[in-house]
Amino acid sequence: MAQTSQRLLDPHFVSKLARLDLRARLVVDGFLTGLHKSPYHGFSVEFAEHRQYMPGDPLRHLDWKVLAKSDRKYLKQYEEETNLRATLLIDTSASMGYSSHGLSKLDYARQLAASLAYLMLRQKDAVGMFAFASGRGELIPPRSTPSHLRQMLVLLERLEAAGGTDFASSLHALAERVKQRGLIIILSDLLDDAERIAGAIHHFRHWKHEVLVFHVLDPQELKFQFEREATYIDLESGERVTTRPQELRGDYRSRVRSWMDRIREFCIEKQADYVSVTTDTPYDRALLEYLSKRARLL
Amino acid sequence: MASFSFLNPGFLWALPLAAIPILIHLLSKRRLPEIRFPTVMFLRALEPREIRRLRLRELLLLLLRTLAMLLFVCAFARPSVEPKGATVRAAVAVAVILDDSESMGALDEQARPRIEGARERGLLIVDAARAGDEIAITTTTGPDAPLSNRSGDRVRLERTVRQVDVTWFPGRMDLALERARRFLGRSGLRSREVYIVGDFQASNFTREARENVAMISRSGARVLLLPIVSSRLPNHAIEDLDPELRPGPQGKGLEMRARLVNHADAPSERLAVRARRGDALIGGGDISLRADESRWASLPIDWRAGAATGMTAAASTGMTGAEPRAPVVVESDVDALAGDDRRYAVLGAPRRLRVLRIVESRAGAPASRFTALALDPMQDGSGGYAIETGTPASLLGLGRGRADVVLLEDIASLSGDAEARLRAFLREGGGLVIGLGPHADPDYYGRRLFPGVIDLALEGMERAAEGQAFEMRARAPAHPILEGLSLTVGSPLTQSRIAALARGRVTSGRAEAVVATTGGLPVVVAGPQVVVFLGSLSDDWGDLPYSGAFVPLVRGLVDFAARAPSQEARDRLLVGRPPAAHLDAAPAGAVVVRGPESYRSQATVVSEGSGFRAVADAPAPAPGFYVFEAGAREAATVAVNPDPIESDLRPVSVDSLRSGLADPPRTLLTAASLRTHLRDTRQGRELWLLFLTGAAIFLAAELVLGSARIAAP
Repeated sequence: MAQTSQRLLDPHFVSKLARLDLRARLVVDGFLTGLHKSPYHGFSVEFAEHRQYMPGDPLRHLDWKVLAKSDRKYLKQYEEETNLRATLLIDTSASMGYSSHGLSKLDYARQLAASLAYLMLRQKDAVGMFAFASGRGELIPPRSTPSHLRQMLVLLERLEAAGGTDFASSLHALAERVKQRGLIIILSDLLDDAERIAGAIHHFRHWKHEVLVFHVLDPQELKFQFEREATYIDLESGERVTTRPQELRGDYRSRVRSWMDRIREFCIEKQADYVSVTTDTPYDRALLEYLSKRARLL
Repeated sequence: MASFSFLNPGFLWALPLAAIPILIHLLSKRRLPEIRFPTVMFLRALEPREIRRLRLRELLLLLLRTLAMLLFVCAFARPSVEPKGATVRAAVAVAVILDDSESMGALDEQARPRIEGARERGLLIVDAARAGDEIAITTTTGPDAPLSNRSGDRVRLERTVRQVDVTWFPGRMDLALERARRFLGRSGLRSREVYIVGDFQASNFTREARENVAMISRSGARVLLLPIVSSRLPNHAIEDLDPELRPGPQGKGLEMRARLVNHADAPSERLAVRARRGDALIGGGDISLRADESRWASLPIDWRAGAATGMTAAASTGMTGAEPRAPVVVESDVDALAGDDRRYAVLGAPRRLRVLRIVESRAGAPASRFTALALDPMQDGSGGYAIETGTPASLLGLGRGRADVVLLEDIASLSGDAEARLRAFLREGGGLVIGLGPHADPDYYGRRLFPGVIDLALEGMERAAEGQAFEMRARAPAHPILEGLSLTVGSPLTQSRIAALARGRVTSGRAEAVVATTGGLPVVVAGPQVVVFLGSLSDDWGDLPYSGAFVPLVRGLVDFAARAPSQEARDRLLVGRPPAAHLDAAPAGAVVVRGPESYRSQATVVSEGSGFRAVADAPAPAPGFYVFEAGAREAATVAVNPDPIESDLRPVSVDSLRSGLADPPRTLLTAASLRTHLRDTRQGRELWLLFLTGAAIFLAAELVLGSARIAAP
């Protein structure tokens, strides 16, 4: 059982499944199965329990039926209602289309977004979606109805990596449109100026949004494990750089690391959560981050 | 100025191969793969700082590869430089001196005769000959005409070298150098070389030889020394044999004397020496020699064994008069040089040494008899000495038929007639022993008798201080006079002392102080045929006659004087000289000489004093017995021996040949160094190994730089 759940959380295995909704459900089911063994408890909105009434408890939670039948005072745990409104922001710029081993960053972000949406809806949270690239964006406002999932899945299926990012402008525009306080989940490779990214996050925080950033990268972007001298073409700008990877690998890695550290520092500074994932990171890590964030919010 | 060239220039066509690394570099640049990547902003940031450094390194690597390839190709083309003194482009006149003397037959540690090494080097020199070169090959024992071959026919030259073999002749390096010098002088070529190949025996490099080396060097020719060996090889030898048999100790038995020498730094213990006549062993013994010692040794002889093989009965019984002569071979253990471990002699029948003692009776007192007793204690001639005692007047009837040695004992002076007769006796080969004493007139001896007899000046008498005496010490312990005494340099001759002696001074190298006092005053002075004892042979000036050293000393004095060196030298026959023999009667018909190695020669007969002297026309080619035949009858047999000068294998100091020369001779110790020298001078110094090493270094540097590049991240 545990092995099955592990497999369902493996991005490469999941990517082989055809339907996105099925994939999302498998991921979440696999995740939940594994979670029973984890220290995270009390997430289920369907679980209710009785406990003895203690003086000071609100009377509105008193189970009158039990009191009527047994003359005992028990408090009833109502099915919990949530006011969490989450919006998934998916970067669809050309750089998200990069794949070094079959699963592109966009594919990974798409699957992760579907899984998160499915999980959120199962918890009666309202979830919306915003897919953006340079100069364009498509927004599905947050709702908590189960049929809403289909609408988001259709959008996710249609996403293609193209164009530049202009990350900050897109987010600033969205921040002006989504003013009701909620959770903003960003899935992007953040290939933009770090200051501008920080500005966009700050904009969300200005409206009291909680921000969770999933920094999606391809493993090759971190390792730069190329051997031969080659000309490297920027997927977004088309810029060409000819170099010998083996000569620059060390410096490249240190530069990428410092770039990521800077983004992380910005996020901490703006009180946003930062999660770095690569396209071979199991989905449970992202889901756990989400649940952790949710627990803090509720 | 050294010039550079390629011996195999055809390979230079492969030089474009050096462009291979450049082509690979350019092609790899042209076909770079394109990789689409999310962003190049991190690469772009690195570009200005790193890429320039990397390009520089890349260029360096390219340079290293290209240079390595360049050097590799050039190495195959055999680059060479022409060093100073080389004759790459000019013909050269070469004189090769091959030492083929007897010593070149000495075996090295691998039992390989030295001549083989000489031939090997000679062939190397001949092989290096080019068209136009002139080569002369001569040997150190060759005849006056050089054994030369000036043609460029390498086959003939090689045959000439291969035919060079060890001879029995002593090396004459001076003559060989003279021939080489004349050859080079006749050559019209400007480049000239002399190769001296041999064992460089110190005895071969005489003053004349050194002068010839210097003259050749000063004439502009290069002298190259090719010693076959650089160290001294231990060797012992039988240097000489006394052809006269002598009585043994206490007059018992007979013994012959052999002079042995140990040319080694270490003693030679129990050297076995054997005497043979034909196949019969007639005597021998074990002899121990100290390092560098040369001395006469007595060998007991079984005379009857000799008689069984041809000696007459009379000869076998003892001392007789004229007796037949017997050819005898004396051999010792064989060492590195076998030729000098065998010596030939024709022994005369044993006879007593006739000594005429001249003494004076003074004031009715009888003359002392110490010397007579020392020589003939039994007064029957059994000691080997026939003693006749007389006065100075007895000298008037002196002749070689009467005495072998005259012994003057404390004679004040001689009359003019007696003195003239004594001088005539010396000219005839007689020996003279003079013992001074309290009555001898130093002025007479120093001014009148000694001039022309011995180079010794007398300057009065010397007396020891009151209560003191002179101690006698050996100055030449290996001298034949002292052979009966076991002495080392400076050791006391005896415990006895002498109170006075004549103060003498040796005035030339022909005389030698054999014994001297502690203060350096000569006591015994030896010259050719004449020995002077400057003290007293009686007990006038000390107790010497009572000491144990007296008998061997007196016998040594008499024996030395009797064995007149002049006579001995005249009789000694050596290889390379014509054999000669004394004939008692005129030969009937032509005299033919036969000897070893199919030797046959006519002899010339001349009248000589008491008989005739026959001298062969051709020199003796090898040691052995040479028979003089007259009318198909044996007239005489003589022994010819190798020159003992070849026995001392001590090499000359090569540095001593170089001193004082502007262009000192170069020494090539090994065949490999000669090969290198010939290649460098004839073809130029090849640099292919240097080039290959350079290529390897460049490749190694490329590898190091390359691995550092990979390891950097």
